[in-house]
Amino acid sequence: MPRLLQRAARRRQSPRSAGQSHLTGVLVGALALLAGSAALGLVANHFSPRGIPLLPATTGDGEEAPALALPAGLSGIGLEEAKQAFDDQSALFLDARAPEEYEEAHLPGALNLPAYEFDDYFFDLMDPIEEASRIVVYCHGGECSDSIAVAERLVEFGFSEVYVFEGGWRSWLESEGATAEGTGP
Amino acid sequence: MKRLASIVSHPVVGTVCRLLVGGIFIYTGYPKLLRPDDFARLVHGYRILHVDMVNLVGITMPWMELVAGVFLVIGIIPRSSALVIAGMLAVFIGAGFLALMRGLEIECGCFFPFMGGHELGWDLLVRDAVMLLLALQVLVWPSSFLPRRRRAAM
Repeated sequence: MPRLLQRAARRRQSPRSAGQSHLTGVLVGALALLAGSAALGLVANHFSPRGIPLLPATTGDGEEAPALALPAGLSGIGLEEAKQAFDDQSALFLDARAPEEYEEAHLPGALNLPAYEFDDYFFDLMDPIEEASRIVVYCHGGECSDSIAVAERLVEFGFSEVYVFEGGWRSWLESEGATAEGTGP
Repeated sequence: MKRLASIVSHPVVGTVCRLLVGGIFIYTGYPKLLRPDDFARLVHGYRILHVDMVNLVGITMPWMELVAGVFLVIGIIPRSSALVIAGMLAVFIGAGFLALMRGLEIECGCFFPFMGGHELGWDLLVRDAVMLLLALQVLVWPSSFLPRRRRAAM
């Protein structure tokens, strides 16, 4: 074997070069995994009934706009409408946040129906929910999904006048709306 | 110190780390891929990505979590899977840290939906950091309790 080839073969067998090729293999594997699963996600999203567009439909003014429109079948209300409903007492407010957050502060009169413990709380709140002519659900703010999750469950149960307060608790606080504390409404 | 290293690098520890981290990523990734709209909304809540990127991340990231988790559990390219998971955990920790430093009160989107994810807090970052250490264990000392063929291919 020519000397140059022998030297190249020796270099290939050296531990340092083996380690480098091993590391390259791990990196290539990781990149392939990322690319493959991303492609899988795009294909699945294309065929899924719950698929979403690649570019979100914003409300127009950029960063503060919600990432996505509400799911089909759900309606949202803004701060002004929520305040109106609160002042008129024309809606039952449901707080979809965790119980400890509700206890800390909530909209006066709102009932706590945590998204994460929906089944544990819902049946105790059946009567006031059934009596309400209109239901407004809120959570932390524009991007939180707890209010949507609760509203979707209520719609599944046959309630039709269900609205998501899109600005949520944050916009209520920013507008210096009234608050209450404790475990009760 | 040597004793600690021998414990950390033990195949049993490696196997436990691999199954635990992989299992958690399957458990958290699967519900997210069923609801890409909700997950995209949560991603947007971190206020890091431009709004045009949010849906792309909402669509692809849950699949990356799930595939990397499945690969890690069954032992297909375990070190590459551990590297992907470690990278994602580092991103979660960085994004969470930035959100907390900016005083954002958002849902973490870690366990989702209806799994007690709740609001982003320092405790969740600590949990992610622990998981990152477990993923690094697999990356550095891949478990030897793998099918022989795969072990040879690592």
